[in-house]
Amino acid sequence: MMPDTAQLAEELSLLIDGARHYAIYMLDPLGNVTIWNHGAERLTGWREEEVRGEHYSRFFPADAIAEGEPSAILARAAAAGQLEEEGWLFRKDGSEFLASITVTALYNPDGSLRGFAKVVCDVTERRADEERLRARENLLSSVLSTIPDAMVVIDENGLMVSFSAAAQALFGYSEQETIGRNVSMLMPSPDRERHDGYIRRYLETGEKRIIGTGRIVIGERKDGTTFPMELAIGEAITGRERLFTGFVRDLTERRRTEERLEALQSELIHVARVSAMGTMASTIAHELNQPIAAIANYAEAVRDMLASPAPDDFPLMREALDETAKEALRAGHIVRRLRDFVTRGEVEKTIEPLPGLINEASVLGLMAAREHGVETTFDLDPYASPVFVDRVQIQQVVINLIRNACEAMSNCPERRLTVTTRPDHPGFVRVSVSDTGPGIDPAVADQLFNAFVSTKNEGMGLGLSICRTIVEANGGRIWTEPREGGGSVFNFTLQRAQTEGAS
Amino acid sequence: MSDRKLVHIVDDEEAIRRSVGFMLKTAGYQVETWSSGQDFLKEVKHVAHGCVLLDVRMPEIDGLAVQGQLTERGVTMPVVIMTGHGDVSTAIRAMKAGAVDFLEKPFEKAALIGAIEESFDRIASTRSASARAADAETILGALTARERDVLEGLAKGLPNKTIAYDLGISPRTVEVHRANLMTKLDVRSLSDALRIAFAAGLGT
Repeated sequence: MMPDTAQLAEELSLLIDGARHYAIYMLDPLGNVTIWNHGAERLTGWREEEVRGEHYSRFFPADAIAEGEPSAILARAAAAGQLEEEGWLFRKDGSEFLASITVTALYNPDGSLRGFAKVVCDVTERRADEERLRARENLLSSVLSTIPDAMVVIDENGLMVSFSAAAQALFGYSEQETIGRNVSMLMPSPDRERHDGYIRRYLETGEKRIIGTGRIVIGERKDGTTFPMELAIGEAITGRERLFTGFVRDLTERRRTEERLEALQSELIHVARVSAMGTMASTIAHELNQPIAAIANYAEAVRDMLASPAPDDFPLMREALDETAKEALRAGHIVRRLRDFVTRGEVEKTIEPLPGLINEASVLGLMAAREHGVETTFDLDPYASPVFVDRVQIQQVVINLIRNACEAMSNCPERRLTVTTRPDHPGFVRVSVSDTGPGIDPAVADQLFNAFVSTKNEGMGLGLSICRTIVEANGGRIWTEPREGGGSVFNFTLQRAQTEGAS
Repeated sequence: MSDRKLVHIVDDEEAIRRSVGFMLKTAGYQVETWSSGQDFLKEVKHVAHGCVLLDVRMPEIDGLAVQGQLTERGVTMPVVIMTGHGDVSTAIRAMKAGAVDFLEKPFEKAALIGAIEESFDRIASTRSASARAADAETILGALTARERDVLEGLAKGLPNKTIAYDLGISPRTVEVHRANLMTKLDVRSLSDALRIAFAAGLGT
């Protein structure tokens, strides 16, 4: 059964009036308003009785009318059957709004034009939202293009969806070369092969290994070179899409600065070492003079014995030459120690037996002790060894402490120096240099290891601060305490070397 | 008792005691070694008379102090000073205190033997101090009055600047006089020049 025509018209009319956000109205073939719904009234402010029979051009701005816009729209709609466009329209109160207009031409059964149906929608707000969104996008992209950190966004398949300007500069790839490709191209092996697995594992387990924490990893540029970088990864879930944003900071510069600082520090340590040797020059010269003098004595004596060689003297001469060789080697030993000590060494940690290290340092350090008439005792625990240190630097500390101790005791009746090594808390050994000097004023004890603090009249106050720098750089600490029975003890700890089978 | 001349070597350095001992023994001397000033001073009353070869730089009590103690105790053994550290002020102090000679390590055998022989000459008193003074005075006769003034200043242990100030001349001129007097005395080192000056009684 066909529905009642009148009922159908009524329902249609309800439907039209119910479209609250749309102005729906009809025009006759000339453009005069014939039907005006409630939506049109709400949108424009005009009531039906005000506009019915009026030409619809009254809704257009003057310039649009001057250009014949209203007629042109109808002509185009009549020709095409339907027309959609956007334009500015007037309200009754004179305000304008941006309208999305759909014009449909209506025809009689005989094909003649009956009129037009117009649906108008106010899109001012929507357009403003779109503008705001676009502005925000522009802002975001301009921010992203100016921040120094490179940004790479990938989807959950590891494919890059965004590659910032900084990223392009950092990795050497253009946006076109990266978008849609797997992010693993930005990293060297083995990460390159494993990266898909990393993402898969995260998606399966939800266990965050790098997301939210940041890590230092190695990146690979287009030209194949690699560099250290700090990577921070964030996760964004929008709708059903999951994205990962990676912020990349090139560490090469920072690494370089750190290296420069390290170089400066080791330079300072080296300078201190050389200047300490300068101060010790006369002691060293004295020390070297002894074997040289002995060599000269033996050589001359043997030469003169050879003037009238008696076979009885041969064993004596052999003994003298033996001594000569021994003394020459001793001089060479001192020179070698000195050269090792003064030449510019790179900071290099090695596994060293501690007693050997201390004995070697004593060759240089105890020159002063002998001179000051100091009685020296070594108490080196073979179980407090080996250590993992920069040998020359730690020897520098030992020599410095020995020399300080000797100087401190130079005016004391009792002059005893003791160098002790003992196991300390797990993983460390302790070296102690104790003297029977006057001890340290508690007022300066705290600052003793700071630069430019000295208890000596002509001291620069750099020795102990450099000792601290060295000890701390080698993973230990240094401190002083009063010695039981008078004097002071300087202690420092060193990292024990982990050896096979060590308990 | 041996008729060979006895030398007491006092040095804390074993290499020196042994090598000098070897050199002197093979050159016909009798040698006794002491590893410290105290050891020697403790026994000095009981040891045989001889020349004392004394190192300056020793722990506890240095060579010059040992020399002073010997004089105080009335020990008349002649002293030859050895040092690894040839500074002029030490040399002057030693010579003024009556040391026969002052040797810098390493030294030539000839220089050591010369100094030791000179010591035994003094023991034998074959040549009196006045005779030696006369010899020295003859040598010094070659010097101009100004050069002698400069040598006098040096013998007092004064630095060039002070000598220049005292004499009212420039330090540069003092240097010139000093170089000239060394040439005229035919000596290679300042201690050689001072030895002659002390013998002639300068600087006292």
